[in-house]
Amino acid sequence: MTALFVDEYPAEARLVKAAFLSSFIAFGIGALFGIIQALHRTDIFRFIDSIKYYTVLTGHGVFLVIAFTIFFLVGLYQWAVTDSLERGPVDIRFTWFWYGLMAIGSFLAAISILAGFLEQPPMVLGAELRANVLFTFYAPLEANPLYYIGLALFLVGTWLAGIDWFRTWWAWRDENPGKRIPLRTFMVLTTMIMFFLGSIGVIVSILVFILPWSLEITESLNPLLTRTLFWFFGHMIVYFWLLPAYLLWYSVLPKLSGGRLFSDPLARVVFILFVLLSTPVGIHHQYMDPGIAEGFKFIAMTNTMFLLLPSFLTAFTVVASMEHGARQRGGEGRFNWLRALPWRNPAFTGMALAGLIFAFGGFTGIVNAGMNINYLVHNALWIPGHIHAQVGTATALTLMAGSYWLVPQLTGNRLVGRQVALVQVVLWFVGIVFMTNSMFRAGLVGVPRRTAEPQYQGFDYDVGVGSMGELNAQLALGGTLLFISAMLFLVLMLLTVFNNDSEPLVDGTLPPALSGPEDSPQVLDNLRLWFGIAFVLVVLAYALPLAGIVAQSGLFGQDIPPFPVSSEAVIYLEFGLEYVGAFVT
Amino acid sequence: MHTSPAKLLILIALSLVILVEGRTVLAFFGINIPPLETALIGLVIIATLIIWAIRPLRGSPTKSE
Repeated sequence: MTALFVDEYPAEARLVKAAFLSSFIAFGIGALFGIIQALHRTDIFRFIDSIKYYTVLTGHGVFLVIAFTIFFLVGLYQWAVTDSLERGPVDIRFTWFWYGLMAIGSFLAAISILAGFLEQPPMVLGAELRANVLFTFYAPLEANPLYYIGLALFLVGTWLAGIDWFRTWWAWRDENPGKRIPLRTFMVLTTMIMFFLGSIGVIVSILVFILPWSLEITESLNPLLTRTLFWFFGHMIVYFWLLPAYLLWYSVLPKLSGGRLFSDPLARVVFILFVLLSTPVGIHHQYMDPGIAEGFKFIAMTNTMFLLLPSFLTAFTVVASMEHGARQRGGEGRFNWLRALPWRNPAFTGMALAGLIFAFGGFTGIVNAGMNINYLVHNALWIPGHIHAQVGTATALTLMAGSYWLVPQLTGNRLVGRQVALVQVVLWFVGIVFMTNSMFRAGLVGVPRRTAEPQYQGFDYDVGVGSMGELNAQLALGGTLLFISAMLFLVLMLLTVFNNDSEPLVDGTLPPALSGPEDSPQVLDNLRLWFGIAFVLVVLAYALPLAGIVAQSGLFGQDIPPFPVSSEAVIYLEFGLEYVGAFVT
Repeated sequence: MHTSPAKLLILIALSLVILVEGRTVLAFFGINIPPLETALIGLVIIATLIIWAIRPLRGSPTKSE
């Protein structure tokens, strides 16, 4: 048994545990909101008012795709940098500082969202405390300024985390001149370069436009500009969610399979491709937006298709590594080697099944990226189906499976309920297929997303296969399985943390790749070069569209006041529409 | 047993997934399988897998993975 991470780096292990704790709290709340939505919009069980659905929907998005994933990412990346460089950060107080900023930011955003459940939210910073603006916070929907302040603090904390890891690497480089960057640190640094570049859009959007507007410092803003700045960030963030899963697939999964990573250089190329390609594609989320020329959308579509390349390279490398592992374990034949894989191990099985669902998510992503067929699915339930396959499984299931391997090393405790953990990951796999299958099918017949009331009076969807009742039942069943699985995971983590009279049964060493970094050119480690090329690509993709948007409506728009999103205002609006409707008819 | 409980669990899960997605694919070719029949097919598949898995191996002691 090798020394555990907690024994070798106790100070860093405390930070990683704190980040994972924050991540799991957010996961629990987000999962609860998920089951409420699944049962509410299918009209199977309703206990909240439909107006409150949007508070639930905002919470589901922000708690899961911002807090759960990114807190896990910073914990995982802190582990990866420390373990692969075999040294701690330059100053651990700085490390705790950025974690503190992220925690305070999440807390502020969380109370702004949760206050939406109050009948009479308190007044904070001159406005009602609420944030029913969904994960995308499109203006002119307006949240309390506290929400934007919370998001800004969270983003600043994440930036500082990246700077901290770069400082650690620079210190290591001075101590180890001429050495190649260890693979896991390379993955962390390239992910953060991608994040630095891609998050500029949302930081400008919040700090320059939306926050001053919500504080009434500025009177108006340009909604198309803030939307475009959001999606400048919005597709990159998809890979920010996904790359921690990639790190686990490339570094831990081959070891769990019983073998070694097939190719270190190929893994480096994949991460470089994400640095280059993940940001200049954001406009493909805006095919339906007027005000952006079709030519720019076409360029974004072409760039997006190039993103298939790193995904295919990953599929090849990871499966080749698994096959190598299986053959080391005695597996033989063209497909029979699959039987030799360690299916009893929940960490392995969870990651392998997550990789399988990633294929579903990838292929449905090609549909989203195509300009013509995107029009069919854009505002439909198809899109939540895609995102639940990608971040909801490729990422989330991998992170849960990775926790089964990593948390015992961070706590020094044996994983509780290994067999239950196996059932948990399999339950997630079955649940997500039930739920996303119904979402894809419902989306194809036009069932809308982002609504508490997808059924309309006097109108029936032409479902083609089965019925709406069947699709709803399947969605609710899948959602319920996912919720049970999520709760099982949290219970197992909690029991493991308190299982302190045990010894972990886990080997934390990671073997070197079959083809190591010495087989690749040194230029792959030239991070300045890749940042420079990525920067030029972003300028080429965004300079003209942004200039066009500003030229059309100005930097701050033309008299765009906030759209009310408080529950009272929506009730008045609903009453007004009914009154006008009755008057017209 | 012909296979370990872990592999049996994975096989059952994969069968359910193939059933759900396969039913959707068949519908594109005009072959519609109602929900009740789909559930029955699923039960038959699971039962078959369990019977196959727990059937003792001929001439050798039961050995798990």
